[in-house]
Amino acid sequence: MIAQLILTILLTSILLYSWIEYRRAPVIGVLSMLAAFSGLYFVWVPDHASWLAALVGIGRGVDLMLYLWVVISLIVLLNLHLKLRAQMEVITVLARELAIANARSAASPK
Amino acid sequence: MQPDPGKCIWVVIAAYNEAGVIARVVAEVRRRGYTVLLIDDGSADATAATAEMVGAVVIRHPVNLGQGAALQTGIEFALHEGADVIVTFDADGQHRVADIDGLIGALAEHDADFALGSRFLGGAVNLPPARRLLLKAATWFTRITSGLSLTDTHNGFRAMTRRGARGIRLRQNRMAHASEFLNQVSASRLKYIEVPVTIEYSAYSLAKGQKLGNSLSILIDLSAESLHR
Repeated sequence: MIAQLILTILLTSILLYSWIEYRRAPVIGVLSMLAAFSGLYFVWVPDHASWLAALVGIGRGVDLMLYLWVVISLIVLLNLHLKLRAQMEVITVLARELAIANARSAASPK
Repeated sequence: MQPDPGKCIWVVIAAYNEAGVIARVVAEVRRRGYTVLLIDDGSADATAATAEMVGAVVIRHPVNLGQGAALQTGIEFALHEGADVIVTFDADGQHRVADIDGLIGALAEHDADFALGSRFLGGAVNLPPARRLLLKAATWFTRITSGLSLTDTHNGFRAMTRRGARGIRLRQNRMAHASEFLNQVSASRLKYIEVPVTIEYSAYSLAKGQKLGNSLSILIDLSAESLHR
């Protein structure tokens, strides 16, 4: 029961994170939400996790949960990559403005 | 053919550590009568000073951002300075200055906003077979993704009218900008034309140019762009 509560808190926080990210990166938001909802479902209905795990050849329900967690981690990693790209775009705009302003001030009569 | 004196034509060259060849490239374009705008993309060598000495207008990026970022800087600056036509030209000497006239002439002749250089309609001297194959595959990919009917892709030799240039906003800093450029040409719905150009590969330009491994980076960059706003 304690493990279920801890996982529920963690997965709920991922749901919130997905909701926040949805506006900026809809694909990431939807993927994270799907993964988190699946996680919550299997945490509270573990029999179904075991059934699904057996169906897809993973073996145990707990292994399925582990894989689900890995998937969530990869999605978060992808999102971090996208955020770094977005920051690079901001840096590029700043550097461009600076470069153009310097060129203009060098060309203007002193 | 000399440039139309009534038109304000800017040749934009993005350069990174090209001090060894840039003087010759800039001087040749200047001799043809064009204004050269060199974007020094954070070079550690004397690229900017050398280009300035032979008559280029020089803008310096404070850090290295990539060819796509440098070209966008050049396009924005040239537009601000009142350019009627903007030509993008490589810094490593693999493009022929004489082909600039053909690109600009094609814009007027076909009333187009983009004239895209094609090495497969013109010539590709010393192009290694592996790169030819890769370019053919990339062209096929670009045809599908952009919907443009092209014979070449990732060719940095192109000309655009002021109206065309205003429709270009490159966000891909690195090599994926070439695909992004064509996607934006397609999205603009403005008229484009392919023009034969000759690209002469040298040991220098092959060493500086794209590698086979860059293809994967380009695909990742293009995919990543579609995932966020």
